[in-house]
Amino acid sequence: MTDPLLTTLDLPRANGELVFEEPWQARALGLGVVAMRSLGIGAVEWRDALAAAIERHGHDPDEDPAAAYYTAWIDALDRLVATHGAAP
Amino acid sequence: MHEHEHDHDEHGHHHPRSASEAELRTRALEALLVEKGIVASDAIDAVIDHYVNDVGPQNGARVVARAWSDPAYRERLLADGTAAIAELGYGGEEGQTMVVVENTPDTHNVIVCTLCSCYPWPVLGLPPTWYKSPPYRARVVAEPRSVLREFDLELPAATEIRVWDSTAEVRYLVLPQRPAGSDDLSEDELAALVTRDSMIGTGVPRAPAAV
Repeated sequence: MTDPLLTTLDLPRANGELVFEEPWQARALGLGVVAMRSLGIGAVEWRDALAAAIERHGHDPDEDPAAAYYTAWIDALDRLVATHGAAP
Repeated sequence: MHEHEHDHDEHGHHHPRSASEAELRTRALEALLVEKGIVASDAIDAVIDHYVNDVGPQNGARVVARAWSDPAYRERLLADGTAAIAELGYGGEEGQTMVVVENTPDTHNVIVCTLCSCYPWPVLGLPPTWYKSPPYRARVVAEPRSVLREFDLELPAATEIRVWDSTAEVRYLVLPQRPAGSDDLSEDELAALVTRDSMIGTGVPRAPAAV
């Protein structure tokens, strides 16, 4: 079963398959999915946070797209975790 | 359309500029959330495993098993693959069109992507390495019968082989022939007979006794 949350996201893919350039990116994806479920973060809230993080990250044509995406992903997750009261 | 899809394969020299920083941040966040009891590391492992391995051929196998069990579903599947596959909850985020091609005693279908490695991800998961290899992509079109023989699939000389070239827009799925002796099987048991390769067309489903 595809996670309904993730089907709404435009995850980095090549020909439909998920692309991870390095293992930590898959880890970031898994961490995000589990944390969103536990903290009750909805798809819309997540998308907005991710979009903002992608904008903050900016675009570097030399940077790998998957690295850029998951860098923004973890930034968005970090901030959402803070606003959901799970900060240190 | 295909050009940018090659980026991942052909530009491995991209610099993961902030990767190590992001990697450290990922580790720190996981440690924090584990400590707070918000996430468990094995739950993360399960999600990763699911996305890397599980969203895969068994979705397609369920589609095939349903088509074998339900003639009306089979008709819908062949008429509009995208819609019929969506009935079972599977679909592509990229909105690609799914076309299902049915094997019969006279016709055997095989899918390929001659330009790159387009593949029906929502129903078959990650493509096998050979599917992406230039020899398969070139040879299955030119000499399908000998390529299939290399997959241990020997087809009768009278069987017509049709090769379907996937694109970014249209992805194909082969509906294999239901194996003999499977009449009494449930849909779940049928799904267990359906292999990934049988839905690519480089194989046939398992025989019921082999399960």
